[in-house]
Amino acid sequence: MSRYAMVIDLQRCVGCSSCSISCRTENNVSEGIYWSHKRTETVGTFPNVRFHYLPTLCNHCENAPCVRGCPTNAMHKLDNGITMHDSKKCIGCRYCMINCPYGVIHFNWKDPHSFWRGKEAVLKGGTSSPVEENRAVGGKIMPYYNPEREETFSGIRPKGVVEKCTFCDHRVKKGKLPRCVESCPADARIFGDLDDPKSDVNKLIGKFRPFRLKESLGTKPKVFYIRDFSSASYPKTKGGI
Amino acid sequence: MKLRIWIGLLGLGILAGLITTFRIHTEGFVVYAKTDVLAWTLPLATYIFFSLTSAGLAFVSSIPIVLGLKRFEVIEKRTIFLEFSVLIGSFVCLILHLGSPLKVIYFLLSPNLTSPLWWIGTLYTIYFIIIVTAFWQRHTARTSRTLGILIFLIAIATSTTLGWLMGMTDARPLLNPSFLIMYFPLTAFVCGMAALLLFSLATAYFSNKEISPEKNDLYNELARIMGITAGLVLILFLWRSIIGGVSSTAYEYSTFRHMIGSISYNTELWLGMLLPCVLMLARSIRITGWGKIVASASLLIGMLAGRMELILSGLVRPLGQMAEGRPEFVTYMPSLSEVYVVLFGLSVILLIYTIGERYLKLEELPE
Repeated sequence: MSRYAMVIDLQRCVGCSSCSISCRTENNVSEGIYWSHKRTETVGTFPNVRFHYLPTLCNHCENAPCVRGCPTNAMHKLDNGITMHDSKKCIGCRYCMINCPYGVIHFNWKDPHSFWRGKEAVLKGGTSSPVEENRAVGGKIMPYYNPEREETFSGIRPKGVVEKCTFCDHRVKKGKLPRCVESCPADARIFGDLDDPKSDVNKLIGKFRPFRLKESLGTKPKVFYIRDFSSASYPKTKGGI
Repeated sequence: MKLRIWIGLLGLGILAGLITTFRIHTEGFVVYAKTDVLAWTLPLATYIFFSLTSAGLAFVSSIPIVLGLKRFEVIEKRTIFLEFSVLIGSFVCLILHLGSPLKVIYFLLSPNLTSPLWWIGTLYTIYFIIIVTAFWQRHTARTSRTLGILIFLIAIATSTTLGWLMGMTDARPLLNPSFLIMYFPLTAFVCGMAALLLFSLATAYFSNKEISPEKNDLYNELARIMGITAGLVLILFLWRSIIGGVSSTAYEYSTFRHMIGSISYNTELWLGMLLPCVLMLARSIRITGWGKIVASASLLIGMLAGRMELILSGLVRPLGQMAEGRPEFVTYMPSLSEVYVVLFGLSVILLIYTIGERYLKLEELPE
């Protein structure tokens, strides 16, 4: 059985957010919810400043605290190591959100895609309403609805349940790569099987010195980060007093 | 006339709650002061407060059986009924916290035994059944020894499992399990005593009933134990502040230093512990009715704030990607709908209690 993992090469990642955008369309993610996101950090004092960018997503931890804490097994592990969620069993207690050290689980506080439920024209007398526009193109709630998502999960998650990245399990099941991996223009995301010694993820993990987020918590995340981007150089120095 | 006004007020509280329930159903949880960072807010804090108070009342009601102090039998029936009322109030708040409460059937269909939340759900269901049985038994004759011991044991189990629920969150060390495992049962006990004193004395006052000297002595004894327990809680609380807030250098604990200046922290400290402790340890105040009422009300208000403080101390610092675009600490002010949830739960408790007081002879001694 496979044990899927992702390697993110920070030297290749340019922070274009293509992963986040493609994830939204692939998984019908509503506004305010991020399956694929980022952390940005500015360090230094002007004029010596630097901007860091770290792509984030569910880490599909081997010891997933969200899975251990879920009272109804709505959050569960698949045989291939993916941390999966079942909206039908979710009681909306949000304990997984409290348990997750990475802040990657979101709650549907209201009906998703509220914009596309609007019945008023965006410009009165000028445009149609979002509902009319959606109806005209035959979408389900929103025009760009992806029906493939509902093959393994709720196509659109309802109000009152949580949701998060599933490593695009519906695509992986068909032998395709997760959407964020496929859409990355810099090939900064590498996906594969940790149980296959010849997989690209294993080659990269063995070649570079990877790090994972909050490893001290013992969650054993399956998202590995390698390298770092820096075009800067500096003259050799020992500093001074 | 007095009763009609009272029922009218409770009706208003329940109406506000029902309107909030309808709004949650139609608009969603946007009526709460929620964010993905503050995923747990006042309705859950109130649930914890009520459920622990109910567990505390269970400790008090089991005194005649577990400790063999027969003089406490005069308050046993009222205490058990109050336990039941407060537990129903906690369920009201819990239902309005859950996103999809109708799916709790999956507690049975798909149980996860590694989840403290599953255990809490199960234990509180058992607890509910035991209380109903115990009250019925007490209403018709006398509480059996087995049931009395069971109530005591389940009160320990529920209050400590709540500590496990909080403490399992490794990423939020401020919800410290070793502290909460002691803190929850102890504060539950003190809240139970406060609730019993407040309800009993207020009932006597509003119904113009004379309190018998025997019962008055018992209330004074309870008030003294309440003052001492509040003092013990205060010691535990102060050590938590010193160890977790002042002397620790760990990054995560800076949240606690931030919370020390908050309204909820100070309400818990001053109203929930210091004031009732001082009032109830001073004999001249303790023996007065108003002294006991002020101390009990102050303690309960402070402890409700304390439950909120506890949750916030674990949540106000956004974790992981939730920190993106947010300040180091987020702030929280309950929305009106969240306040209505508290009033809803409280009104339900008071309504059930009022009905019980009127029709179920809560003063009755065992046969």
